[in-house]
Amino acid sequence: MFDSSVTTTCGYCGVGCRLEAHTRNGKVATIAPALDGPANEGHTCLKGRFAHQFSRRRDRLTTPLIRENGELRIASWEEALHRVVSELTRIKAADGPDAIAGLASSRATNEDCYAMQRLMRAAIGTNNIDNCSRVCHSPTSFALRKSFGLSGATGSFADVDHAGAMILIGANPTEAHPVVGARIKQAVLRGLRLVTIDPRRIELSDYGELHLSPRPGTNAAVMLGLAHVLHRDGLTDPAFIAARTNGYDALLELLPQYTPEAVEEITGIPAADLVRAAHIYGEAATACLTWGLGVTEHRYGSEVVQLICNVALMTGNVGRPGSALLPLRGQNNVQGSSDMGALPDTFTAYRSVGDEPVARSFEAAWGVDLPRAKGYTIPQMFDAAVAGDLKAMYIFGEDVAQTDPNTAHVVAALESLEFLVCQDIFETETTKYADVILPASSFLEKAGTFTNAERRVQLVAPAIDPPGGARTDFDIITTLSRALGHEMGWASPSDTMDEIARLTPDWSGISYERLGRTGLQWPVAPDGTDSPILYTERFELPDGRAHFAALPYKAPGDAADDEFPLILVTGRRLQHYNAGTMTRRTGNVELNDRDYLEIHPDDAARLWVSDGDTVSIRSRQGRTEITAQVTERIEPGHVFTTFHFPETRTNLLIGNSMDVNTSCPEYKVIAVDVRPIGEEASMTPALSSA
Amino acid sequence: MITLTIDGDEVTVPPGTTILEAARGRDIPTLCFDERQAPFGACRVCLVAVEGSPKPLPSCTTPVREGMTVDTRDPTARRVAAAIVELVLSELPVAPAPHTELAQVARMLDVGEPRWPGETHAVERDERHPYLAFQHELCISCGRCVRACDEVQGTFALTATGRGFEANVAAGLDQGFRDSVCVSCGACADTCPTDAITEISLLDLVR
Repeated sequence: MFDSSVTTTCGYCGVGCRLEAHTRNGKVATIAPALDGPANEGHTCLKGRFAHQFSRRRDRLTTPLIRENGELRIASWEEALHRVVSELTRIKAADGPDAIAGLASSRATNEDCYAMQRLMRAAIGTNNIDNCSRVCHSPTSFALRKSFGLSGATGSFADVDHAGAMILIGANPTEAHPVVGARIKQAVLRGLRLVTIDPRRIELSDYGELHLSPRPGTNAAVMLGLAHVLHRDGLTDPAFIAARTNGYDALLELLPQYTPEAVEEITGIPAADLVRAAHIYGEAATACLTWGLGVTEHRYGSEVVQLICNVALMTGNVGRPGSALLPLRGQNNVQGSSDMGALPDTFTAYRSVGDEPVARSFEAAWGVDLPRAKGYTIPQMFDAAVAGDLKAMYIFGEDVAQTDPNTAHVVAALESLEFLVCQDIFETETTKYADVILPASSFLEKAGTFTNAERRVQLVAPAIDPPGGARTDFDIITTLSRALGHEMGWASPSDTMDEIARLTPDWSGISYERLGRTGLQWPVAPDGTDSPILYTERFELPDGRAHFAALPYKAPGDAADDEFPLILVTGRRLQHYNAGTMTRRTGNVELNDRDYLEIHPDDAARLWVSDGDTVSIRSRQGRTEITAQVTERIEPGHVFTTFHFPETRTNLLIGNSMDVNTSCPEYKVIAVDVRPIGEEASMTPALSSA
Repeated sequence: MITLTIDGDEVTVPPGTTILEAARGRDIPTLCFDERQAPFGACRVCLVAVEGSPKPLPSCTTPVREGMTVDTRDPTARRVAAAIVELVLSELPVAPAPHTELAQVARMLDVGEPRWPGETHAVERDERHPYLAFQHELCISCGRCVRACDEVQGTFALTATGRGFEANVAAGLDQGFRDSVCVSCGACADTCPTDAITEISLLDLVR
């Protein structure tokens, strides 16, 4: 029935489902879940299973394009690569290497991302390299490193099966991480005591024991309130605190003011519910904490993650089976792209670019001198471009003009660049500003590895060939590097992994042979032993102890007022994935063909908005038009939408408020004004003044 | 641990293991079994002989006992299983596609064209969903799709409907996948042993 079948890893979300891809006549005919996939155990969702037709859509990029007299035209690979090399060389000579920046893709493999950061650091000579974890879980990475030492989940999805209780904060797994959502739901049906915390009543709230609806931006107060009750009611683990942590006294000084009543004032959560939540978590023998972007994409997102870590430390719920902290990573390889050092301040495994012995080890391996100063983060890149300091960008597999906040500013930055090269599988909002577009490959067409949200490195195998003249990202980046005078010396992605293992202690035991069908969870010792559970004995901080963070609640960057009386929260829906570049080109659009604005019936009645009406939504930053969906899933005073469809331009509404430590944008708290307008959207907002 | 004998080989497994699990790697035909779901014991195709038992036992729901002697190739068990599969096939208007589990089980048990004439299910298709198709005439009421929706996905969109010859499966209140609470995960199509629920894109490859 099929011509070929390969086992590979899903390229949608960070769950990391193992898939069996079957082909016929050079196309993917069907995809089935692998029964032995550790994260999915024979299950997958409508994205992983069905949304693969994008790979052979006629609008795939199949030939390089270059801009000439303002128009894009078809070009040969030689011509396109020559243009890239000559422009980057010219700009580097004129303005220095730091006038050039690159973005690695969290959709691409570890090997692609490693190659990309090596290209920027060794071939160009700059640390201006970042990836989209900047705009999602960089606060999680920052906080986990501060509190525990390593930037990853402390356990595995399997811990959900063994947990007695779980608090799920700012995540909607049955839509955004459906296979983990199903796993949590099954655990709840078997008796897991689930508390959901979200301004929206998510599907799992209907199954859980308790749902808390805090005002957006007040998560810190919720976590401090939980800590207050855990301490007050004797639900802590004093032996664990004494033996394995530092800094508890400082936290205790802070806690008295966060009584359930005080927290109710800030968050709107009834005091009794907060007490109940603390007891559900604190009384369980094993308990998990799981969160998503509803925690991180805030002005103080990284601090909230530290406060979440506090709660686990107080109760000793870390480092043992059934007691894990599981951040739900968004993209298939957002964990890996960061692990690989596609960040402006770190090499592989989060080792600082300023760390002399580490920097020297990379200099010795690559035969070049490397810069020690940190590079630009993504928001800094756009600011620098507008200021005229950044002249060129190489954007690989990311649609910043659709997904990043303050779209008008992003577009102004892209227009300010002297040279923009995009490497992607489709033309996107971002490629509209490109000078060269390089046609690349999807996850179905390449070899390498992805690292899922439980730190599991899993093999990716090509099911089909890249279409037409498209090439693998590995091929493009290594060829470009060679043309720029830096030979990476790898014949295949497997060689890249061997180099990563050689230069990265936590990855030293990883090889393609050892990864096999089920992958390995880093850190992997030289003998191949992996780490399903971290911190069983010690935390990975210099003194071996975890650190409590004594951080008070601070108000979010935006607040409702008379002019903008509603708070907008953005997120995802089941049928679509992120910017929708892939899912909008599949049958999933038949199931969901637009972004909707969820609005509570009370607000809708007050504003004369009916279900299905087109409404205008305006923030301090911008305005767009969207279809209203009247639903009780959302609390009064709040509205919710997604950014899957470029015509909605949801991110025009998002301002420049960002996490204080990691510059992750505050996508989750935007004061808006909503009002009804005509039946059809009158226009798509213009992005450019030109 | 419990030690038993299967086809003359001594096997040691933890208490609570079923005969089917203990006999992993041996050719026992199954129809309503899926390792992702709790044992169901509906189809009676996984029959084996157990010493001391007057009749064959379903291996998927029978826990092992100390000292048990199991014959997975017992002629009586195989004959009964083959008769069941033949009766199942006799209700279908067409033979199941060769790649389906039902066709594989029929081959394994040497069941050819069913000898029982009589009424077969009327063809009833539903292809309104972008990915999932119903071919109700191929439903054998094994319950795997309903249990996949309940036990693997947790959406409870599918329901067993009707009785006897009319037994079948429906999404929601027989609304089709699109109008039910279905989340399109495809776990039902993945487990269906007859293609009564299948992926639309595969229909052309099979037909």
